[in-house]
Amino acid sequence: MSTAITVPEDLWEGDNEGVITAWLVDDGGQVNQGDLVAEVMVDKAQYEIKAPAAGRLTIAKQEDEVVERGTTIASLDD
Amino acid sequence: MNMPLTGAAEPTTQGLRRMGVEVGLASEQALLEMVCEGECNALALAWSPTDRALVMPRRHDRLAGFPAARHRLAAMDWPVLFRATGGTPVPQSPAVINLALALRCRVGSSAAHLEWGYHRLGDPWCAWLASLGVADADLGPTPGAYCDGRFNVRIGGRKLVGTAQRWQRVRGCRDMALLVHGAMQLDDTPEALVAVVNAFQAAIDDPQRFQAASHIALRDVVPDLDLEAAMPRLLEGLVAGHAMPGLAAHH
Repeated sequence: MSTAITVPEDLWEGDNEGVITAWLVDDGGQVNQGDLVAEVMVDKAQYEIKAPAAGRLTIAKQEDEVVERGTTIASLDD
Repeated sequence: MNMPLTGAAEPTTQGLRRMGVEVGLASEQALLEMVCEGECNALALAWSPTDRALVMPRRHDRLAGFPAARHRLAAMDWPVLFRATGGTPVPQSPAVINLALALRCRVGSSAAHLEWGYHRLGDPWCAWLASLGVADADLGPTPGAYCDGRFNVRIGGRKLVGTAQRWQRVRGCRDMALLVHGAMQLDDTPEALVAVVNAFQAAIDDPQRFQAASHIALRDVVPDLDLEAAMPRLLEGLVAGHAMPGLAAHH
């Protein structure tokens, strides 16, 4: 089973774009639900992205890539 | 509203604490953690460095020339440190006063969002400047300034205070905790601090250079400032509005 990691729709307001500033887990790494996995910056504000489930991380959007709210940035597989 | 004390900090001016940059950054993060843990809904901290450092988000360590740049800045007695908020390199020194405000917010409230967070810090700051006789303070961008953003506190269009934020989920619920931070140049010349950032730019081979004319120090416009008398009023202004829409109820 695969679970997408998306930028939460309620993370910030408006249509501003963000930038992935850091992946805190390597591609292929194992994470637990609730682990901090990435950071996204918008307007000099850093937001944390946490794992919605446990699994092996596959990164879809790399550091410095632009993202919007709702963008899938990675997946987690059992 | 609580005013946190940290063991490593030594109080001097009422409301303003003096500590090393590394301790100050850790103290700000501790504010956010305390709000995340539900210990309180709002915390504020005012501090000024006893030493100096060029402070930037950790992502800068991915730059190709970063190790050499860090070494060069350290040789200039400007060690590089990392911070948890967003933006780009900012010099911290005894000429700078920092204010940090940590708040618990209810996600989905139209009042609790990124712009609200910046105004929550910046509007009382502008009001405080007006009380000092500075009539033309506002929030906005300052092209040519280092670590520019949309919500600097400006005087006459020049950057006085740089602002940044960090948001974290509160553990166990949908609420979020916000740390909004402002760094104000009190003393020293804008040229002196801009030169440090430009030295880093040169060291990482980034052609962008910043302009001293885009910055201003508070002593430039309020040369007879009585900091001991004025700082508590700034803190009072910050904490006065803590019962605002979007602020979650205390648990």
